[in-house]
Amino acid sequence: MIKTINSPGLFTKADIVIICAALLVLPLLYTQFWGNGSQGEIARVQVAGHEPLQIPLQRSQRYTIKGPLGASIIEVDEGRIRFVSSPCRNKLCIHSGWLQHDADFAACLPNLISITVSGRNPRFDSINF
Amino acid sequence: MSTPQPLHLHASRDDRRIAALAALAIAIHVIEAALPSPLPGIKPGLANVITLVVLVQYGWADAAWVSLLRVFAGSLLIGSFMTPTFALSLAGACSSLMMLALAWRLNPLLPGQGLGAVGFGVLASMAHIGGQLIIARLLFIPHDGLFHLLPVLMTAAVLFGIVSGIISQSILIKLHQD
Repeated sequence: MIKTINSPGLFTKADIVIICAALLVLPLLYTQFWGNGSQGEIARVQVAGHEPLQIPLQRSQRYTIKGPLGASIIEVDEGRIRFVSSPCRNKLCIHSGWLQHDADFAACLPNLISITVSGRNPRFDSINF
Repeated sequence: MSTPQPLHLHASRDDRRIAALAALAIAIHVIEAALPSPLPGIKPGLANVITLVVLVQYGWADAAWVSLLRVFAGSLLIGSFMTPTFALSLAGACSSLMMLALAWRLNPLLPGQGLGAVGFGVLASMAHIGGQLIIARLLFIPHDGLFHLLPVLMTAAVLFGIVSGIISQSILIKLHQD
């Protein structure tokens, strides 16, 4: 069974329609799936064994949090939050960078301090590590 | 008591043709597996050029044979048979074949010339990545965060679908010149 080829050119009209449709779908996918969730509203800073601290992300400010190893400095800047310094060895908390979306998380395990950002509509009921 | 007659399997002309084409696809598949990919999860899938050429030239059933033979034999050669890689490869092949079956059926109803290799290629590669993501979500990474990758993977799929479609169509044009 040999079929004759559909078209002498590289593209048929239907091909062009399919390509255009695909190219139209792509931006839709980016707006639908690529975003990292909703903006965070407050950060919960917890030192192990203590009541969590609720820090609003609207007000830019620096906080000094005391942990078992010493003081960690946390900075809030226009809706985002990060570790600025911490008396730990690997500085993984600092390398986590800015946290700004719902459910973003960073922790300084040696100093037993963790930051969890939550938004207006939390994406998760609870998170276990 | 007579000795049982040995069983002879006769390969028809069609069988030989499918085997030869599948062998070609497998070779491309293996060579491509050796090439490093800039991003994990993204590769051109040039073996599907053969699938597309076979589809347009000989129809959907032959394309399905070539594609599935490639997935099985290719994974045996690479050593990924029955691994997650294989499951994803099979998922991709099956979903793109299903998409091609639909497109192949509907194609005669389209006005004008209908779809060429490029149209089939784009549809197949998009279905391929879609099916793979769904299987990955169900079997390997049970978290919706996986779908954050969908836009990037789909962009690559459209791009590589167009590229392999153009290659296929060029091959088909060459074939029909002779």
